[in-house]
Amino acid sequence: MTDGSFRASDVTKSYDDGKTFANDRLTLHVEPGEVYGLLGPNGAGKTTLVKQAIGLLKPDSGTISLGPHDLIDDPDAARQLCSYLPQAQMPINSFKAHEAIKITGMIRGGSAAAVATRRDELIDALDIGEWRDTLGTKLSGGVKRLVGFAMVAVWPGRLVILDEPTNDVDPLRRRLLWDQVRRLGDEGVAVFLVTHNVLEAEKSVDRLAIIDEGRIFAEGTPSSLKLADRGRLRLQLMLVPRSATPELPAFVEDHTRVRNNLIAVIPEAEAAHGIGWAQELMGSGIAEEYALGATTLEDVYVRLTGDIAAKEPASS
Amino acid sequence: MTAPAIPALRTGPGYWWHSFVMMTRWEIVGLRLLLPITVFVQVLTGAGFVLGVGLFFGQVPPRAALFLSTGVIVITLATVGLVLGPQLIAAQKAEQTYDFIWSLPVPRSTAAAAWIVTNTIIAVPGMVMALVVANWRYDIDLRVSTLIIPGALLTLYTATMLGYAIAHTIKQPMLINLITQVTIFALTGFSPVNFPKEQLPGWLAALNEFLPLLHMANVMRAGLTDGIVSGLGRSYVVLGIWAVVATMVTAFVLRRRA
Ligand SMILES: Nc1ncnc2c1ncn2[C@@H]1O[C@H](COP(=O)(O)OP(=O)(O)O)[C@@H](O)[C@H]1O
Ligand SMILES: [Mg+2]
Repeated sequence: MTDGSFRASDVTKSYDDGKTFANDRLTLHVEPGEVYGLLGPNGAGKTTLVKQAIGLLKPDSGTISLGPHDLIDDPDAARQLCSYLPQAQMPINSFKAHEAIKITGMIRGGSAAAVATRRDELIDALDIGEWRDTLGTKLSGGVKRLVGFAMVAVWPGRLVILDEPTNDVDPLRRRLLWDQVRRLGDEGVAVFLVTHNVLEAEKSVDRLAIIDEGRIFAEGTPSSLKLADRGRLRLQLMLVPRSATPELPAFVEDHTRVRNNLIAVIPEAEAAHGIGWAQELMGSGIAEEYALGATTLEDVYVRLTGDIAAKEPASS
Repeated sequence: MTAPAIPALRTGPGYWWHSFVMMTRWEIVGLRLLLPITVFVQVLTGAGFVLGVGLFFGQVPPRAALFLSTGVIVITLATVGLVLGPQLIAAQKAEQTYDFIWSLPVPRSTAAAAWIVTNTIIAVPGMVMALVVANWRYDIDLRVSTLIIPGALLTLYTATMLGYAIAHTIKQPMLINLITQVTIFALTGFSPVNFPKEQLPGWLAALNEFLPLLHMANVMRAGLTDGIVSGLGRSYVVLGIWAVVATMVTAFVLRRRA
């Protein structure tokens, strides 16, 4: 096999001598040119998986490969072929932004001139030119994150791993960042993206997996995952803090409660009844606000991860 | 679309050298904010130690002064490798910036080599300053010979690799700092660096024959003085063994994955 796909097969990783299974037989693949999203709540096992791909952790069992290279047996190959934006901040306090990007690109094997050209493109594309000569200590968290992204994207290798890349980034530059993630894909790089921001991921990924408690619960394109929810609406109710969940009318097909947020899934035909019910709850002081809208990937996500949480109370 | 083929992996001496140069640049730029103050502190400690002991004892006899001044230099070098280095690594671990550095596509040995270069840059000004001050204050009979080069290099290498191995073996940053504190205490108090080993109780003197500090002092002194060092060959052997062990432990822990 000489294709360039990234494959994880049956990856299992436990911590604390098998007490916590952070990854439980995970299997997935990312093709060159594809942006693949791994979505899941905190503690789902996302970071654990990517750290194994880059050779920082070793799985209990299973295999991880990129094209012909076994990344577990050959962590040197993993580091040369994959570039990695960790979830934690980058160690660039005493680097000027442009230096950090250039040195990383050159460490990754790019020539000084080629790296400098690409760096300048990225600085423009991410609109961070005003901090070009600023030391890392003086950068805000969001700008530091963008510089970190540029460090990883400037000489990317065949697989780019991004662990929560948009954390702290302002909404406008987030869009620019997503454009650059897309561009990596268009250049033939496989992008493996970890996030808990479902709405953003929905617009930018080609395929995604929803993961919780170390297992994949659904996988597919954003629209294929929403298929099951076609013809339904989401009615979101903001309940008074700490109030009990109100009795649900018969037309509510499904619901999840996350703190004060009650999300009810109702058929499109029942929209009027749904609004009536919501207004009633507001009138009687149980709900403070409501919104009715099309189901989103977030609903699929909340339904799946919510279901999981309901079946097996989180161990932590 | 047809995806670009997987490129051949980089290998060989050219790759090693490029990685080493780039990692050294990475470390030096990375210490930009810390380097001036660190070097300054090293210079002050070295000079201060030399002067302070003189103040404490009033009149320092020439032989004691020579012993003391050369001992201070050993302590300056050993402190950088065994205390300062591990504390910098502990800080990286505490700030969780460790993962990115270890995901960079360079041979692990180049990161270690870059670290040794960095520690040398930190240590050498302090060492030179301590010598200058000692020479000026006590007018000691320093006889600097070319032996100082292998002596200083081996001392710095061994101390740095030992510190590096400790810092990479232990996970908790707090524990790294604790151990380095204990090390510096033992270093200055219970090792015959600043005083002749005859002044130690027999068992402690015997123990020091196997520990690196005494031998670091010996090889350094051999390059700075004439006629007060004996058993130099043995010191090189013991220190050489420590250097090899520290290198092997480092090589092992750097390849280890949790
Ligand atoms: N070093 C570790 N030691 C013990 N447990 C860990 C460690 N790292 C992560 N875990 C646990 O493994 C699970 C998955 O963590 P992680 O992969 O960080 O999740 P995510 O990135 O999806 O938030 C969590 O329950 C977490 O507490
Ligand atoms: Mg994570």
